[in-house]
Amino acid sequence: MLNIGKIILHTIVLIVFYQVGMLIQNTFNLFVPGSVIGMILLFIFLSLKVVKITWIENGARFIVDNLALFFIPVTVGVLDYYEVFAGIGSLLILIALISTMLVMGISGATSQLLIKRRAEEHD
Amino acid sequence: MIDFLIGLTAILGTCITYVFSLYVHKRWNVTITAPVIISTVLIICVLLIFQIPYETYMLGGQWIDHLLGPAVVALAYPLYMQRHTLRELLIPLLVGTSLGAVVGISSGVLMAKWAGFEESIIYALTPKSVTTPVAMAVTENLGGIIPLAAVFVMFAGIGGVLIHNLVFRLFRLDHYLGRGVGMGSASHAIGTATLMEDSQLAGSVSTVAMVISAVVVSVIAPALIFLLL
Repeated sequence: MLNIGKIILHTIVLIVFYQVGMLIQNTFNLFVPGSVIGMILLFIFLSLKVVKITWIENGARFIVDNLALFFIPVTVGVLDYYEVFAGIGSLLILIALISTMLVMGISGATSQLLIKRRAEEHD
Repeated sequence: MIDFLIGLTAILGTCITYVFSLYVHKRWNVTITAPVIISTVLIICVLLIFQIPYETYMLGGQWIDHLLGPAVVALAYPLYMQRHTLRELLIPLLVGTSLGAVVGISSGVLMAKWAGFEESIIYALTPKSVTTPVAMAVTENLGGIIPLAAVFVMFAGIGGVLIHNLVFRLFRLDHYLGRGVGMGSASHAIGTATLMEDSQLAGSVSTVAMVISAVVVSVIAPALIFLLL
């Protein structure tokens, strides 16, 4: 029971950061989602020890572990759009796959190249 | 009052379906049994069988939906827990992930544009490499079809898991950093979970890459789209 109370309290802290992020987005007319701004703020505050990890960890862990639950209602909405993937639309699946392959290969190879070069310099 | 009861039923139904899908996933533990897929398919079936419109389901669904924003904020937690990995590997992580974000957006958008798809679909495809709640926010800002964004994220996640061994071989990714950055940048949480099973180290890198990628994509997507379309 104590744990549920903690999860709720910690989630309220996350909601506050989200609201602040939204406020910043709307005030400055930014394209970056308010939720992402809130996340960056929380990370900075955690790093500066302004916010203690014990204030958010139970709530954050619960949410991150069950992330899927929170977007199920939206994914169900695909029910109104299934015809998008019919016929020529199936091409979209192939596009997503090729693009994913390129992202994985190029980002990974770049990081790997940089770290290996760094290791060589240290030798 | 009726709306409230319908809403409550939708919330409870969604939660029960989710818990059931967790159980199924634990039992079979293959990528395709990811809880979000099983839950979505089950709920769609129920709605179709009983001829319930999506708007009616969303009377309750919207309440869960309200927590999506705070859920993105919660990603600061895994990033903070991996802060030592982040600090130590900052430059290779940032450069690799940012390049991945640019490649992901432009390759998807250009191919879809050449194939002649309409803009609301292209906007949904744009953020497919990042975790679902962020992808939805990005697509919403661009003016695309939000549920489709979630479906493309699933394609990137599951597709990435299915082809990752091939990509690792093709691009000679043998270092945990290369594998972690590749997986986290391309296939977000689904890829990260898979990689975590092979190596804790690569999994941690993947977690950091996934969060950085979410930030980078949400920052550069609008400008990049403007250039490409």
